Amino acid sequence: MAMKNANNALFWQIDHQIKKSESQEGLVILPSRQAYKELDWTRNLFVDKPKEGYFVWLKKQIDFPLTTCITIASPKTTQNLTNLLVIEKNIKAEANVVCNAAEKSLCATHRAQGRLILKKGASLVYNHFHQWGEEDFVNPDYEFILKENSRLAYNYRSIASPKDLRLKTTIVSQKNSSCNINFVARGLGSKIAIEDTVFLRGVGARGIVKLRLVGGKDSQIKAVSKIVAEKESLGHLDCQGLLINEKAEISLTPQLIVQNKKAQITHEASVGRIAEESLNYLRSRGLTEDEAIDLIAAGFLGEEEPLVIGGRIISSKLYM
Amino acid sequence: MLKINNLSVETKGRKILKGINLEIKKGEIHALLGPNASGKTTLTGTIMGFADYKVSGGEIFFQGENIINWPIEKRAKAGIALAFQYPPAVKGITLSQLLEKTSQRKVTVKEFIADTKLLDREVNVGFSGGERKISEMVQVMGLNPKLVILDEIDAGLDLKNLAKVADLVKNKLLLNGVSLLLITHRGEILRFLEPNVVHVMLKGKIICSSHHWRKVWRTINKFGYEKCKQCPFLAD
Repeated sequence: MAMKNANNALFWQIDHQIKKSESQEGLVILPSRQAYKELDWTRNLFVDKPKEGYFVWLKKQIDFPLTTCITIASPKTTQNLTNLLVIEKNIKAEANVVCNAAEKSLCATHRAQGRLILKKGASLVYNHFHQWGEEDFVNPDYEFILKENSRLAYNYRSIASPKDLRLKTTIVSQKNSSCNINFVARGLGSKIAIEDTVFLRGVGARGIVKLRLVGGKDSQIKAVSKIVAEKESLGHLDCQGLLINEKAEISLTPQLIVQNKKAQITHEASVGRIAEESLNYLRSRGLTEDEAIDLIAAGFLGEEEPLVIGGRIISSKLYM
Repeated sequence: MLKINNLSVETKGRKILKGINLEIKKGEIHALLGPNASGKTTLTGTIMGFADYKVSGGEIFFQGENIINWPIEKRAKAGIALAFQYPPAVKGITLSQLLEKTSQRKVTVKEFIADTKLLDREVNVGFSGGERKISEMVQVMGLNPKLVILDEIDAGLDLKNLAKVADLVKNKLLLNGVSLLLITHRGEILRFLEPNVVHVMLKGKIICSSHHWRKVWRTINKFGYEKCKQCPFLAD
């Protein structure tokens, strides 16, 4: 399997300190505060006056992924990030965005609010990895603006979920734009609240949202996934949960709001448990019950491409 | 290899197996015949240690050790391998990933079929009957088994494919003294595998054990299982 390598992160912040912020030809990368101060036009685009975070402006086609890494390494650190990413017209890009805790029990807080703008005809594959400690509080709130004919593939994966994760995502899809959103999370003693909304605002807009959630040890997962079809458009929600612990709870709420009679919006949702028959099958191959559960959960969540960052492999397999 | 003494088993409050006795020695092939719902699958599930089957009496010895309280995986690691008749789907996991996790030795699908695309498919998702059997046999082989249990490996196969599967069992699985317990209710496979002992199970009891599989199968073919009880030719 190919392994993505984020050793060359273009922006790297540890706690509140910027370790790296590296612009290149056709690519501007700045700390958010600096961009807000120096680039007037960004002021209306930042969702708030930034204190910390990054600004990425891709003006020309590049042949490497935009990689950013936000790390918390010190106990009880609270980050308040305000990020902005702008992809210019007809540019195709891939972004690997890692937010992580360097250790398991830092009791840290990571708040991030951001806006990502894909201009006309732009295309972005946005891989967002979260790897937090068991005592952390994490609250990202991102808005994606998809201009005419733009394309977004957003893959969010919570590799190690924090104690409390509140993930809010809003996508505004304009004329003939499309988005394919995948949220994958596994709770282990975690409280997870996911709220995502896709506004199909332009004629011909298309949106697919797929949620795969695994409720492990004492976790509580609540997801509200919504598509609002304002114009003639296509959309589908696919929400599935798997409970692997007696004390876990998953609540899935798909919502379809259709405001145009030509819109076609559908959904499917289910929450299930692992069948005894499947456990027997894998255990008869020599796996312990826990190994069998992990394998079934891994299959349910789907394959992931491991990421190397700072010499460390970021992979949920390390947590199984 | 395997010795079962006076085994009684219940499931969902119903008594299914009633005083089963069975001994399979190293390298022997035993066939267990019986109509549907006679208790054959309950016996295989009990040998594997599936929790649905509650042992209410008796013992199961494997290589001299009473395994009645062993968990499933301990039995598998000790060398008992079951090929399922209807294996469940494992979504999102390919056959090659599963083999990587479970195999104790390197096996390749190529040993069984030329088409290795099966390895890249999700386990038992959309597998045809034949593919299921190949997948089961590859997995079982990877476990380095000492005792293989094939549950209705012949189900749904025409005679040509049955011959192929039997050939694979004989020449790939049953090497180095591996023993086989073959569960079937059809019997045609016996011609290919020629078991050392054939047993007939009816209503949870083994009513007959014989070294003459041809005689037994001929009788069953002629009179049906229900007549077995009265058959004067079967007992050795």
